[in-house]
Amino acid sequence: MNNKFGRLAKPYIIWLYIFAVAPAIVMSFLIFTDMEGLDLANLKMTLDNFSQLGEKSTLIAFKNSFLLSVITTAISIVLGYLVAYKLFRSNFKNKFLILVILILPMWSNILLRTEALANIMESNNIVTTFLNKIFNSNITFPQLRGTYFSVVFGLVVTYVPFMIMPIYNSLEKIDRSVEEAALDLGLTEMQKFWKVILPMSSKGIITGSIMVFLPSLSGFAIPKILGSGNIVMIGNVIEELFNNMNYNIGSLLAMIILVVILFSITIVNKVDKEGEMLL
Amino acid sequence: MENNVQNLNDVPVAKLSDYGYRDYHVLAKIWKVVSTILVVVIIFMIYLSILIIALQSFNSSSDVLSFNKFTTYWYTHMFDEPSFATPVRNTFIISVAATLISTLVGTLVAVGIHYSTKRFHQKIMLLNNIPLLNADIVTGISIMLIFSLVMKIPGLEYIFGFPTMLVAHMYFCLPYVILNVLPKLKELDSNMMDAALDLGLKPIRALIKVIVPSIVSGILAGLIFAFTMSFDDFVISYYTTGNGFNNLSIWVYSSIGRKGLRPYVHSFSTLVTFGSMVILLAINFFMGKKGVKNGKKH
Repeated sequence: MNNKFGRLAKPYIIWLYIFAVAPAIVMSFLIFTDMEGLDLANLKMTLDNFSQLGEKSTLIAFKNSFLLSVITTAISIVLGYLVAYKLFRSNFKNKFLILVILILPMWSNILLRTEALANIMESNNIVTTFLNKIFNSNITFPQLRGTYFSVVFGLVVTYVPFMIMPIYNSLEKIDRSVEEAALDLGLTEMQKFWKVILPMSSKGIITGSIMVFLPSLSGFAIPKILGSGNIVMIGNVIEELFNNMNYNIGSLLAMIILVVILFSITIVNKVDKEGEMLL
Repeated sequence: MENNVQNLNDVPVAKLSDYGYRDYHVLAKIWKVVSTILVVVIIFMIYLSILIIALQSFNSSSDVLSFNKFTTYWYTHMFDEPSFATPVRNTFIISVAATLISTLVGTLVAVGIHYSTKRFHQKIMLLNNIPLLNADIVTGISIMLIFSLVMKIPGLEYIFGFPTMLVAHMYFCLPYVILNVLPKLKELDSNMMDAALDLGLKPIRALIKVIVPSIVSGILAGLIFAFTMSFDDFVISYYTTGNGFNNLSIWVYSSIGRKGLRPYVHSFSTLVTFGSMVILLAINFFMGKKGVKNGKKH
């Protein structure tokens, strides 16, 4: 009987092979070829694509991507942990509402949100003009658009909800009696946090870090809008290459990101076999 | 006797700190206040962009950078611009279709995974993580490459557009449904299904009558996740569309490029945020009521 239901999952694995596995094979093939778009008739085998990796623009983009996403992840861990911990300790136990608070901003368009953030990063913007109208004052904001700060700020506020949820989930799984035991055995509140709670919620931190790190690493809309051309990340380079029909070098860079991601997926699979921390 | 008591008073009394305990009372109180303020600030930062969008939506000037006068004009003239109405309609069609199909298919797949062998289970869960964790840009390019190859089949030259975007959205929505439904299936008593079958129900009827009602909260959560991801998606849609088929994100992206954002976009966005807040709070309210009912029953 059970096998009958088991069959329901078979088409899905084929679907995953087509859309998740096959493209990686296609891309690995594209790396070693040279052609316009996907013009298979005029295809040449070549190793020239790899020389792009030595280009200064590519190196800067990689450096920016790794640097900014590591900083974003680090800030998100601190801020996300704080929010998750306070929510966990508060009397507010309605998990659905917490989830709602965190995902509600995602229902408005991400580009519109980023553009709104870029707006207040200008020295004269909608908020300053609004305040100046009300208070008859002459406030200006610092000109931040196009700086590293603005990009990191945009990345953190966009992705920190992905950090809060897994940490909250892992905190929820800690048995209350373990905490009591720690206190009974003479730990102070501070020691209890560092020696018991933090290690026991490390699963959530790892999952959350990956959920923040990966989209920050590969995103192209946020650096494009908030960096206003000054800060180029690897996503921007890939977008440019694919827009110019240069699928070969584009695939090479995409494959590098894919390798980083596959590495992360194996980590997630190790710490979280059932994917229960992700949501 | 009396002497002893007096002596006891002279004996220095050990304080807690002498045993290595330090009094963190004041520090703890300060930290409590500071951390609460920090949390409020962080939540505020998450909502900052939403608040700015709301402010922009009431701006009488069409310059997004300067506030002129308060107006509700844009709320009543949202779809005057036909080039805006079409992408909004497309966004709704795509995300509703993708969400409904993914929820239905994803639930069936989750049931399938639940009843399959352990090895198959692990393999499919590993692959299932790929759409979830893969970079949007890599997913977008991947699906585009597959469809670019499919396009070479005669008769399928014009698949780019609605069908490709729908498939792409289903691709990244399905894992969310599966991940939300599977834990609920695990909580299920395995005897229930056997009992239903023993009592003569056909497997499909048993699925609908016995399994689905007990996992409905997982299905609902999956549906909300899928809709959130689909409605907000930009990068994957951007790479899998074609033949002039736009959704809201793609339209906004090109509008930002040519500085063509007008406050009616912000009005629309604000209405969506407000509307979804009402819907989600309503769901919460009804789920809460149901929870109380169930609690009383048991």
